[in-house]
Amino acid sequence: MADATIPGAATGSAASGRAAWLVNAALPWILPIGTAACVLAVWEAVVRIWSIPAVNLPAPTAIATNFVKTFGTLAYHAQYTGAEAVGALFIAIAVGTVLAGIMSASPFMRDMLQPNIVAFQLVPKVALAPLFVIWLGIGSESRLFFATFLSFFPIVVSTTAGLQQTDPTAIRLCRSLTATSGQIFFQVRVPFALPYFFNGLKISATMCVIGVVIAEFISAQAGLGFYILLASSRAETTAIFAALVMLCVIGLAIFGAVILAERVARRWYSG
Amino acid sequence: MSIAAADKTTATETVPRAGRRWRLGGLRRLILAPLFFLAVMVALEIGVPLSGVSSMTMVPPSAVIEALQQHYAILLQQAVPTLKEVVMGFALASLLGIVLGAAIASSERVRQALYPNMVFFQVIPKIALAPLFIVWLGVGTPSRLAFAVFIAFFPIAVSTATGLSSTSRDALRLCRSLTASPWQTFLAVRFPYAVPYIFAGLKVGVTMSVIGIVVGEFVTAQAGLGYIVMFTSSAAETALALSAILLLCGIGVGLFLLVSLAEFVVVRRLGAPIPAGEFA
Repeated sequence: MADATIPGAATGSAASGRAAWLVNAALPWILPIGTAACVLAVWEAVVRIWSIPAVNLPAPTAIATNFVKTFGTLAYHAQYTGAEAVGALFIAIAVGTVLAGIMSASPFMRDMLQPNIVAFQLVPKVALAPLFVIWLGIGSESRLFFATFLSFFPIVVSTTAGLQQTDPTAIRLCRSLTATSGQIFFQVRVPFALPYFFNGLKISATMCVIGVVIAEFISAQAGLGFYILLASSRAETTAIFAALVMLCVIGLAIFGAVILAERVARRWYSG
Repeated sequence: MSIAAADKTTATETVPRAGRRWRLGGLRRLILAPLFFLAVMVALEIGVPLSGVSSMTMVPPSAVIEALQQHYAILLQQAVPTLKEVVMGFALASLLGIVLGAAIASSERVRQALYPNMVFFQVIPKIALAPLFIVWLGVGTPSRLAFAVFIAFFPIAVSTATGLSSTSRDALRLCRSLTASPWQTFLAVRFPYAVPYIFAGLKVGVTMSVIGIVVGEFVTAQAGLGYIVMFTSSAAETALALSAILLLCGIGVGLFLLVSLAEFVVVRRLGAPIPAGEFA
């Protein structure tokens, strides 16, 4: 694209050529943000022109105002949801990677566990949420463990796949260089498995928030899921949306942290 | 072709490890997992009564089966609306997802405009919108259906778009040099190449549509297996809750297997004639 515009620019002015190049380079950023802005603008216009009641669909500006006005309350609830989601993700990482390590180290364990784990992936685990409340009470533990339960499967499945898909030639090379199996594991298998691990972790990062919110729907005295259910029972749609914005912030923050961790880990291993 | 490729991968997997014990390894691979599952069930069967927890907290597997037999009439009656809604939600989500995915992949500009927003939507916890669908559509089937479609169609759309835009460039160039029209290229090359991606999305989507309906039933609490799970667990009838969950699992796994079967059939009929790797 850039190549095509630069020769044309040489005949015209250099400045307009550079402008065209800049537009082309910025397009992948401008287009999605512009689309989102258009959707919001249309939404705002539709609500105002047809004067749709806020119970059905509040305007984006009304949501923003509500978000700012109730920020203190939202932050209070977000603190519980966020802490439980992050805690669940950490437990899921610990359990998931250890299990994946065991399954890749021992073919026996792998043959025994992997098909069961894959089968469990297909089951609508969400249906078990009320049972976690029975087992662990309505406190923080039930939400924490339910979110862990939801988010650890993607990590196990993809990390195991990654640890298994190591290039066999690289392993043979290491063996011929008399590397111990521990060395092979940490210096060959783990770097090979990193992209797979992070793929699973990205799915889990969204699942852990979903898990906490579902559990909060069922039992909670605080948290954004509780706030949303309370607002919906009072038909305060604007408040639901404001809480949703807060949830998006939490979800994106966790997702962003995972992407950042992936960059750091890859640089660490390639350096 | 795909079978040959599969053979190649299994060969590289088994040769360095198993050698002549291959036959035994194959058998072990088949029976170990069911054995483990059985062992867990037996442990629960023996361990739960021994541990002395009340039947409100946990029940042995036999009690779940018993509850299933005792209440199967009402459970099946509640399973019907759930299954119907899941299937309808999945069908709508597939249609919408594939059409939208194709639209996204139709032009580079459209893709640039929509794809990042779709990924953004994938990341946010959409489940939290469930109560909103009740505000909009009431407590009946439409709200659960719309919610299931809403959470199930994103993975389908994203993977369809990915599949359609990851056709091998050489194959596309070949089509152009043979003066194929864009529509011909789409039908003969781009779509067959995208079939595995589309089915990967459909497999995620079918699980999501079960989840969507169940969460919808949690929130609306009118009918269906999700409602039974919610109701019985709040009444501490754990055996009944677990038997409803068992039925839900059956629905989830059954539909997944149906999608896998459809994938097998479609890939055989429509699958790309040349594996993408052989163009490189």
